[in-house]
Amino acid sequence: MLTLILLLFLGGAIVTWLGNKLSPVVGDLLFLATIIIPAGMFFTGVTVGEVTHLHALGLTLTWGLTPLSYLFSMIVVGLGILLAIYAVPFMKGKQKTGAFYFNFTLSVMSMLGILVSKDWVSFFIFWEIMTWSSYLMVVLNGKDVQRVGIKYFVFSAIGAYAMLMAMVIMNSQLGSFLLADTFNNFQHLTTGNQILIPILLLVAFGVKSAMMPLHVWAPDAYSNAPMAYTGLFSGALSKMGIYGMVLVMVTMINQLPEGTLIRDIIAWIGGFTAAAATLWAITQDDGKKLLAWSSVGQMGYIIVGVAIGTPLAMLAAMFLVVVHAMFKGSLFMVVGAIEKQTGTTNFTEINGLIRKMPWTFISALISVIALAGIPPLAGFVSKWMLYEALIQNNNYILVILLFFASTAGFLYCYKFLHGYFLGQEEPEWAHVKEAPVAMVIPMVLLALGNFVLGTFPQLIFKPIDAAMQFAGYDATGGRLWGESVLFTEWGDVVTLQPILYAVLAVFVFFALFLWFKGTKGTRYVSTKDISTSGELPKEWENLTFKVNFMQPFERAIEPFLKRQIDKYYTAFGNGMEALFEFTRRIHTGNGQTYAIYAILFLALLLLFRVNLFG
Amino acid sequence: MVGTPVLFIAIPLLAAFLIPLIGMVWKESVRIIPGLVLAYLLVLAINLLSYVTVNGPIVEVIAGWAPPIGINLVFNAFSGFLVTIMVFMGLLVWLYSYRFKSNVEYEAARKYFLLLMMLITGSVGIVLTGDIFNMFVFIEITSISGYALTAFYTGRDSAEASFKYLMMGSIASVMLLLAIMIIYSQLGTLNMADVASKMHLMDPKLKAVSFILFVIALGIEAEVFPLNGWAPDAYAEAPGPVGAAFSGIVVKAGVYALIRYTYTIFDLSGAFNLLIIIGLITLVVAEVAAIRQEKLKRMLAYSSIGQMGLVLVSFGIGTKEGVFAALFIMLNHAIIKPLLFFSGSYLVYHSKKKMISDVDGIGKLAPLTSILFTLGAFAIVGLPPFAGFWSKLSFLMAAADSNMLLVIGLILSVSVVELVYYMRVVNRIFFFKRTTSLLTRRPTFNAYVVMIILGLMILVIGFYPDSVSMYLHNAANSLFDKSQYIHSVLTATIQ
Repeated sequence: MLTLILLLFLGGAIVTWLGNKLSPVVGDLLFLATIIIPAGMFFTGVTVGEVTHLHALGLTLTWGLTPLSYLFSMIVVGLGILLAIYAVPFMKGKQKTGAFYFNFTLSVMSMLGILVSKDWVSFFIFWEIMTWSSYLMVVLNGKDVQRVGIKYFVFSAIGAYAMLMAMVIMNSQLGSFLLADTFNNFQHLTTGNQILIPILLLVAFGVKSAMMPLHVWAPDAYSNAPMAYTGLFSGALSKMGIYGMVLVMVTMINQLPEGTLIRDIIAWIGGFTAAAATLWAITQDDGKKLLAWSSVGQMGYIIVGVAIGTPLAMLAAMFLVVVHAMFKGSLFMVVGAIEKQTGTTNFTEINGLIRKMPWTFISALISVIALAGIPPLAGFVSKWMLYEALIQNNNYILVILLFFASTAGFLYCYKFLHGYFLGQEEPEWAHVKEAPVAMVIPMVLLALGNFVLGTFPQLIFKPIDAAMQFAGYDATGGRLWGESVLFTEWGDVVTLQPILYAVLAVFVFFALFLWFKGTKGTRYVSTKDISTSGELPKEWENLTFKVNFMQPFERAIEPFLKRQIDKYYTAFGNGMEALFEFTRRIHTGNGQTYAIYAILFLALLLLFRVNLFG
Repeated sequence: MVGTPVLFIAIPLLAAFLIPLIGMVWKESVRIIPGLVLAYLLVLAINLLSYVTVNGPIVEVIAGWAPPIGINLVFNAFSGFLVTIMVFMGLLVWLYSYRFKSNVEYEAARKYFLLLMMLITGSVGIVLTGDIFNMFVFIEITSISGYALTAFYTGRDSAEASFKYLMMGSIASVMLLLAIMIIYSQLGTLNMADVASKMHLMDPKLKAVSFILFVIALGIEAEVFPLNGWAPDAYAEAPGPVGAAFSGIVVKAGVYALIRYTYTIFDLSGAFNLLIIIGLITLVVAEVAAIRQEKLKRMLAYSSIGQMGLVLVSFGIGTKEGVFAALFIMLNHAIIKPLLFFSGSYLVYHSKKKMISDVDGIGKLAPLTSILFTLGAFAIVGLPPFAGFWSKLSFLMAAADSNMLLVIGLILSVSVVELVYYMRVVNRIFFFKRTTSLLTRRPTFNAYVVMIILGLMILVIGFYPDSVSMYLHNAANSLFDKSQYIHSVLTATIQ
C-alpha cells in the first residue's frame, strides 16, 4: 500500500507535467487528482505498523509507518491537500506551471517517503529527492537564482552529505542500515563515533530545520519560492529536520554521557535562533521575508523543546510543530493571495486591504494571533507548555530569552497585520478584489484550525502521545498533558475557559462597536488626503507610515544586526573561489609545462619510491 | 559460443581499412558499415559475457603460439564487462554522429568513421590483450587515432590541442617502452600472466621503478593529475561525440591498464595507497578547476577527469566492495558523461566560443535537450533516484568498511563543489533570461534516440540498480582472482 501510494505520487507527478503541456486545465485536474487520490488512500488504507520490504543492490529497504511518523505525515498530507487546492488558482496564468506541479507532488511524495523510511538508505534517497525538488521550487521564479538557489543547495548538500557519512559509518560498524538497529546498538560504537555520528546527524537535520548558524539559506529560499509552495516548505518540509532531530535526540543523545551538555548547547542554539530571527523579522519590509524569518524563529522554539526533551517540553514542541504548520501555512497563503491580487508584497506599497479582502484579513488575523502566542489560540497553548517545561527544568535564563523573542514577536505580528490590511486606502489599490474562493477556503480552514486546537488541544494530544510513547516516553503513561497546569485530567483547557470567554466577549463587543460606528458616515481617506501647514504632498512621496516603520527600534538593534554570519559565509565562499581559480591555473594551457609536470611527477615518485613501496 | 574474442579486434580493424575502399563505390557505406560492425560486436560481447559468467574465462591464443610465448586475448568477466561498455558506447557515438556537423560531407565522414573504428579497436585491444607489448601497440593505435580526432575540425585551437595530446602521448610511449624493457630484461617474458607469476623473482628496486614508469605512462592515458594537462583541451576542441568517446571509451581503457598492472601483474603493497593518493589529488584538482571554467565542454572535461580520480580512489581501497564501486562508477560515468557531452554540445551548438553563459534560458527553446542535460547533471552528482547515487553509495560503503573517514570527508566536500558547478549550469538553462540572439539547433533524430536511450538507462539503473549489479559483482570477483587468471592463461591450449 505504501509503495503504491508513493508510486502514485511519482507517476502522477510525471503525468501531470506531461498533461500540463497538453492543456493547462488537464494539468490542473491531474495535479489535484495526483495529490488527493494517494492522500485519500493514505488516510484510509495505511495503518501504523505496516511494513514493506524492497531490495536494491543487496540492501533491504524497509518502509513502514510508526506513530511518530504518523503524526508528521498528517501534517504533510493535510497541508499538501490544502495547498494543492490553493495552488491551482494561484498558479493560473503563471509560467512554469508544469514544473511547479511536478516539484510540488515530488516534495509531498519525498516527505512521506522520509517518514515511512525505516532504514537510512531510503531515508537518504527521499531526503535528497526532497532537497532537489524544493530547490527547483526556490529557483522557479528565476530571481537571484545563482545566489539564493546555490546557497540553499550547498547548505542542503552539506547536511545531506553529513547524513550520508554518518549512515555509512554506522553501517560499517553495526552492519545494518535499519534505523531501529542503529539506535538500539548505538552503544556498540566506539566512543569517537558515538560523538561523531550524532553531531553529523544534527548538522544534517539542523540545516533543514534552519538552526543557526546553518539557517542562512532559509529566509531567501522561503521568500523566493512560490507562495503556494512556501506554506509546505516552511510548514512541512522544515519539519523533516525536526523529525530527524527528535529521532537523534531521543535515541542517541540520551545514551551518551555527554548528552546533557549537547542538549543544553542545542537548546541554547534554538533559543538564540528564536530571538535573533525575530529581530530580523521585525526589520523586514516585505511580507514574504518577514514570514520567512518568523519561520526560522518558530523553528527555534521547536528546537528548544526538542532539545530540552522532558516529556512536557517534547509535548510542547510537537504541539508547536502541528500548530506552526497550520498558522504559517495560512499566513503564507495570505501573502500569496495578496501577491496574486496586487502584484506586490511590500508593506510600504500596499495599504488598507481590509475592506477589499475581508476573508484574507480574517485568516491573517487569526493566524497572527496564533503566531504571537496570544490566548485563546493554539500558539498560546504550545508556548505556555514550553515555558512551563523550561521552568520545571530550571532553565530560567533560556526562558527569559524566549520570552524576549516572543514579546518582540508581537512587533512583527503587528507589522504584518497592519502593513497589509489597515491604514488609509490608496486609490491605487481600488481595483483589488478578494482572492478566488479556492484560495480563500484553504486559508480560512487552516486559520480556523488554530482556533479549534486552541480551545480543544486534546484533539491532537492522542496522536502526539502515541508518537512520544513510541519515541521512548512511555513513563508518562499516556497522560503527558498532566505535567502542565493548563489542562485538566482529560486534556481539557478548563483553566483557560474564563479567559477564552472574556477574550471572545471583547472581540464581539469590539466588532459590534465597529459595525455601529461604521454605518454612520465613515469617510475613507488616502495618504495624500492631508495638508500639513498648508503643504501639499507631492505625487511621488510615499506617505504610508510603514516607511521606516520601526526606525528607533532598528537603530537600537543595529549593532546586533551588523553581525551577520551570512557575510562570513560569503567571504568564505569567495575565498574558496579565489583558491580554486589559483588551482585552475596549474593547467596553464602550455604543452611544455605539461611535459615538465610529467617529468617532475616521475622524479617525485622515484624520490619517494622507498616510502611508497618499501 | 558464437564467436571468439579476436573478432573484437579483427573486425573493426578490417572495417577501418575497407571503409575508404568501399566508399569509392558506394559513398553512404562509410556511414553504415561502422554501425553494422559495432552492432554485431555488441551482440557478440553480450553473448560472450553471458558465456563467461557460466563457463569461466575465455583465453584465446593467437597465431598458434601457446602462452607465454605467443600473444593471447583474455575475455573474462572483468575485461568482458569493460568491452561491452566500450562497444556499446561506440555504437551510441556512431549513432549520434551519423550526420553530425561536418560529417555531412563524404570526405570528412570517411576520415571520421575510419578514425573512430581505429579508436575503438585500440581501446578494446588494450582491455582484451594478455601481453604487455601488445598492449603498448594498442595504446599507440588508440592514441594516434585520438590525436587525429582531436584535430578533426582543423582549426588553430584544435591543432594546438591535438599537438599537446601528441606530446604527452609521446612521453607516455617512451615511459611505457622503458618499463617494458625493464620487465623483459629481468623476467624474459612479456605475457601478463607469466610476468605476474614470476614477479616475486624481480629485484624490488627495479620492480618499483618499472611500476612507477607504468603509472606515469598509463596515468597520461587515464588522465591522472598532474599528467592530464592535455585532456581538457582535447575534450573542448574535439567534436562533441569524440569527447564522449574519449570519456566513455579511451579513458576506460587507460584506467583498465593501470588497474591490471596494480592488481594482477605487480605485487607491490604500496601500490594501492599510491592509487588513493593520485586519485584524490586528481579528483580535488579537477573538480576545483571545473568550477572556474567558462566553457561548457571544458567544464565537462574536468568533471570527467574528476570522476576518473574517484574511480582510482575506489580501486585503491583494495577490497572487493571497492572494486565493485569503482566498476559501478565507471559504468555510470560511461552512461552519464556521454549524455552530458551529447546534449551539451547541442546546447552550445551555434555559439562560437561555447561559453557556459550561452546556454542562458535555452530551456524554453530546446526543452528536451535541456531536460536530458539536467537529468545527466543530477545523475552525475549522485542525486537519488538516479544512477549516480547507487555508485556513490557503494563507494562510500566500501570506504567506510575500510575505515577511511578522512577520504570520505574529503570526497563529500568535493562533491559539494561538483554540485555547485552543475547546478549553476542547470540554473542558467532554465531560470535565466535569454541574453544572446543565438539560435538553437534541433538535434538530429539519431541524436535524440541516443540521448533518450542514455536517459532511460540512467532512470533504469537509478530505480532498479540490481539490473547491473550481477555483472559488476562477477567482474569484481574476476579481477580479484589473480591465481585463476594466471592459471587459465598459462594452461590455455591452441584451439
